[in-house]
Amino acid sequence: MEHITKRFGRATVLDGVSLDLHAGEVHALLGENGAGKSTLLKILAGVHTDHGGSIFLDGRLVRPRSPAHAGALGIAVIHQELSLLPALSIAENLFVERPLGRLGWIDRRRERASAARILGEVGLELDPDMLVEGLSLPERQLVEVARALGRGARVLIMDEPTSALAGPAIDRLFELVSGLRARGVAVVYVSHRMEEIERIADRLTVLRDGRVVGSARVGEVPLDQVVAWMLGPRSLAAEELPRPAPAREERLSVEAFSVDSVAFERPLVDRVSFVVFAGEIVGLFGLSDAGAGELLLGLSGALGARARAKEVRISSVPVRMGSPREARALGVAFVPADRKSMGLVPGMTAEHNGTLVTLPSLSPLGLLRPARERRAALGMAADVGLRPEALAMDAATLSGGNQQKVVLGKWLLDEPRLLLCDEPTRGVDVGAKAEIHAKLRALAARGAAVLVAGSDAREIAALADRVLVLRRGRIAAEVARAEATPAALLALAMGHDEGRA
Amino acid sequence: MSDKSLSPDVPAARSAGKTSAWHRSSLARALFSLALVLTLGVMFPAEGAFFRLGTHQGAWRQASVVGILACGLLPVILAGGIDLSVGSVLGLSAVVAAKLSIHAGEPGWLSVLLVLVMGAVCGAASGSVVAFARVQPFVATLAMMVFARGLAKMASGGTKVATAVPGPDGVLRYVEVPPLFRALDAPVLGGRVAAVTLVFLAIAAIVGFLCARHRLGRYLYAVGGNEEAARLSGVPVRATKILAYVICGVCAAVAGICQAAQEQQGDPEAGVSYELTAIAMVVIGGTSLKGGRGGMGLTLLGVLTIGYLDKILSINAVPEASRLMLTGAIVIVAAVAQKNS
Amino acid sequence: MSRTMLAFTRRAFTLGLLVLACACKGESKGSGPAGEGGNKARFVIGMSQCNLGEPWRVQMNADIAAAAKEHPEIEVVFKDAQNDTLKQRAHVEELASAKVDVLLVSPKEAQPLTEPIGKAFDAGVPVIVLDRAVLGERYTTFIGADNKKIGRAAGEWIKKVLGGKGKVVELKGLMTSTPGQDRSAGFREAIAGSEIEIAFEADMKWLEPEARKEMDSALSRLPKIDLVYAHNDPGAHGAYLAARAAGREKEMKFVGIDALPHEGVSYVEQGILDATFQYPTGGREAVETALRIRKGEKVPKTITLGSRRFTKDDVKKGGEVIE
Repeated sequence: MEHITKRFGRATVLDGVSLDLHAGEVHALLGENGAGKSTLLKILAGVHTDHGGSIFLDGRLVRPRSPAHAGALGIAVIHQELSLLPALSIAENLFVERPLGRLGWIDRRRERASAARILGEVGLELDPDMLVEGLSLPERQLVEVARALGRGARVLIMDEPTSALAGPAIDRLFELVSGLRARGVAVVYVSHRMEEIERIADRLTVLRDGRVVGSARVGEVPLDQVVAWMLGPRSLAAEELPRPAPAREERLSVEAFSVDSVAFERPLVDRVSFVVFAGEIVGLFGLSDAGAGELLLGLSGALGARARAKEVRISSVPVRMGSPREARALGVAFVPADRKSMGLVPGMTAEHNGTLVTLPSLSPLGLLRPARERRAALGMAADVGLRPEALAMDAATLSGGNQQKVVLGKWLLDEPRLLLCDEPTRGVDVGAKAEIHAKLRALAARGAAVLVAGSDAREIAALADRVLVLRRGRIAAEVARAEATPAALLALAMGHDEGRA
Repeated sequence: MSDKSLSPDVPAARSAGKTSAWHRSSLARALFSLALVLTLGVMFPAEGAFFRLGTHQGAWRQASVVGILACGLLPVILAGGIDLSVGSVLGLSAVVAAKLSIHAGEPGWLSVLLVLVMGAVCGAASGSVVAFARVQPFVATLAMMVFARGLAKMASGGTKVATAVPGPDGVLRYVEVPPLFRALDAPVLGGRVAAVTLVFLAIAAIVGFLCARHRLGRYLYAVGGNEEAARLSGVPVRATKILAYVICGVCAAVAGICQAAQEQQGDPEAGVSYELTAIAMVVIGGTSLKGGRGGMGLTLLGVLTIGYLDKILSINAVPEASRLMLTGAIVIVAAVAQKNS
Repeated sequence: MSRTMLAFTRRAFTLGLLVLACACKGESKGSGPAGEGGNKARFVIGMSQCNLGEPWRVQMNADIAAAAKEHPEIEVVFKDAQNDTLKQRAHVEELASAKVDVLLVSPKEAQPLTEPIGKAFDAGVPVIVLDRAVLGERYTTFIGADNKKIGRAAGEWIKKVLGGKGKVVELKGLMTSTPGQDRSAGFREAIAGSEIEIAFEADMKWLEPEARKEMDSALSRLPKIDLVYAHNDPGAHGAYLAARAAGREKEMKFVGIDALPHEGVSYVEQGILDATFQYPTGGREAVETALRIRKGEKVPKTITLGSRRFTKDDVKKGGEVIE
């Protein structure tokens, strides 16, 4: 791939990216959220077609027009969310795009025989007639690889393939990848886990802000260098703000907290224990599948019975938070990462969104008091720095920053004792970002405990008094403010699992 | 981005919800549909019948029973649900109301109370299945629709419950039409308005108040707009949904009593396909079937649009086939107009 | 008459569920102390009803049951096809293979039921077809009433009562259904040549609320109405209620058709309707014919039922036979 550029509106997401993939080589692709990894892969896979630059496959200029076209060219993607059809058999899934047979009649016997052969190649001893819904997750993933091979894939893109897997399945997957390499397939391996990259990849390339910032053979660059490439030279030092030492009053104490997964083999959060004190901002730092967001979701009560703990205490009192309502009654507020689907009610004005949490106290006997509500909303707007006119607007039409202010503001009106904030400034412009950070600090200064989860090392480093680094659902390290530089956090999040259980 | 430069005396947001651009355009479109239909009436006045007060009284009276159903459907639809059982619950209520007040001779207030409770129970049953068992509203209320119709037939013994009461020996005994039914079927306010129309307007006022000025109403919009966000904001999602269906069931019961009063009997087949008309009324008004958008004002316009259309076609004695085609055409025009908002 | 109305209004998707829900209670044992005292004299009549959703068909079954009760040896097996042609087909086949002594069928539709009925007939089971005919000749006898004749009788009576002139509102059943067409055609034949004018006509789809609605419109258009002729009694009742709400019920007469004991006849007794014309179910006649077949008597291929007229004057005496 040479000089790939891609713009979304005015934003340049990819800026002259060049990447060489060699047959029989595993090429690791790294980069923070928004670095341009997934855009690049989507161009390769034919999802985005309006890009600049050229793609050469075996020296021939190609331009994938659609996922089907990319497949025909020999480029296949194994997604994080698997794309098999659960109600069909393995054989049917393998040939769903191009069934074997003629004139539209499917030759089942031929499909079954071919399926058995292809399954053998990926080391799966399964009956091709089995339904996919009866397979375990790693088996499905292998079937997905088998499907790509069955279609003659020569470039295989694997997007964080180990996220969902437990130890033995990872070993099995790596064996398969080695086998593919031996057969001359070029593999693009997206991951942020150095341990895996060192085991399986031959070369690595780091993207940042839509450019290639570094590329090297695996083993020739230390982790620190990779981390430096990913973060870039910008403001590595955290904003130094004098912060009062938090009082040692325990606000939240969590013991052996787990969140079960619906799709994954492993729990999303695996028996973590920690304490948050009043007046303290604790950061939960983890990359994509580390489980930081799920930990907050679980604590908010949103996951119901999927979240389990030996004990959760708030202000030293054991509590049960089975639903967001119960959590709210305990003074817990939750600002979700995904404003659109979890934070706001579209069609309702910003004002009504802002008073949704505190509505019971604003409407005695159930009767709405518009004047009272307006006062509360105006107070909220002033508090989070929202223009009063924006209150009358449909919340869905606000900018990302203003939306986030509304979501944060509706909880601030409730004066929470514990604020859970997931990715507080994702998709938010710089100005609003600073305002939101200031708001979180002010809340902590007033004595609330704040738990911030995120995958933006700079934000967590700037915001948190103390950082818990998560890796695959476990706490990998606890870092005090003084040591919590973005580079240190990222290195910890990407680093080896010491003694994998 | 910072707003600190803005002076604090910026005009405060005026009545936030009602002035939203969406709401205004939707109202305009609903008015457009009604105006379209009324123009039709002016163009084809059926020998002046359209300009007679009786015609309008009739149009309102006829729209009242289905209009009550539409009022009940509004909260359910706002919360993102649907209730197909309203027609059947109407039939069941008509039968039970007739049984109680004609055959058993119970006083009017007791009959009404018992029937309303029964309607509420039907609604609570549908609502609970939707909220707890997470069955799709379409399926849950479809089941209730079939079940309530069966119950109506069982309770009535398959025949109309009328003032001819069969004795144990099969001989018919005639009783008076109960005062409750007489009162509901009588014209009031100097003969200008049918009593059922007043009932309809009262129901519209109550449900409209609940939707616009009560916390429950806000929760309906929140649940319909984004159920997950509402849940995470501490909104009692399940209770909200169940209450919406309860309101709907009670309204269907009121409609059933009104229907029985106007027919002076409880017909187990009453209300068949009314749910579709009622849903059409709500939707033509501009309330979104996806939930979260709409209101009582719009619904009233929808009720009047369909009610007047029906009346105008009827006074012009338009044959059934053309009538169906015209109704379909106008519903589509109104729906497309709303869709573009 | 109104047996088409349910088929028309009930939506297809509920039917599926209904059939499922009711599949197991579709049949019930009929009347009489059947089976007791040895089965030497037992006489089994199978009755396949197309649909019990309408009062008229409930009445037909009730008439059969009542007539059978008078003969202790008769046992009736009732089947209700719930308006499903295929189900009725299966019922006919079941009853035929169970070797009932006489098979009664009130078919939903002619074409699809002609073959199963013919097969039963060929196999030697006497078949009495009720109300709606099937095609061809492969049945024993058909018992039915003549809607056109009833419509004509109503027209004649109306002509007499109005003295040959006046404004009439005709509230028609579904005009896409044969009974509706016949009741209208017979009526118009009878009043042809007189000064009776049909000043307003509308389909009320056999439904009372629809009838009331259409009557409302007629009332607001016409300053004077002499008589309302509705194709069924609920329709006439709805028209009466509309007129009474407008305070004009004294101004006109109301005439309906069907004369079911709970409906039309009781309306006449209460003074709501001025007349109703019976559309007989033929249930009693069917049982009587079955007994004649049993005795080996020859029965005519077609039995046309007579009708009765019920007016205020004669309702207590059980009405008057027409012609």
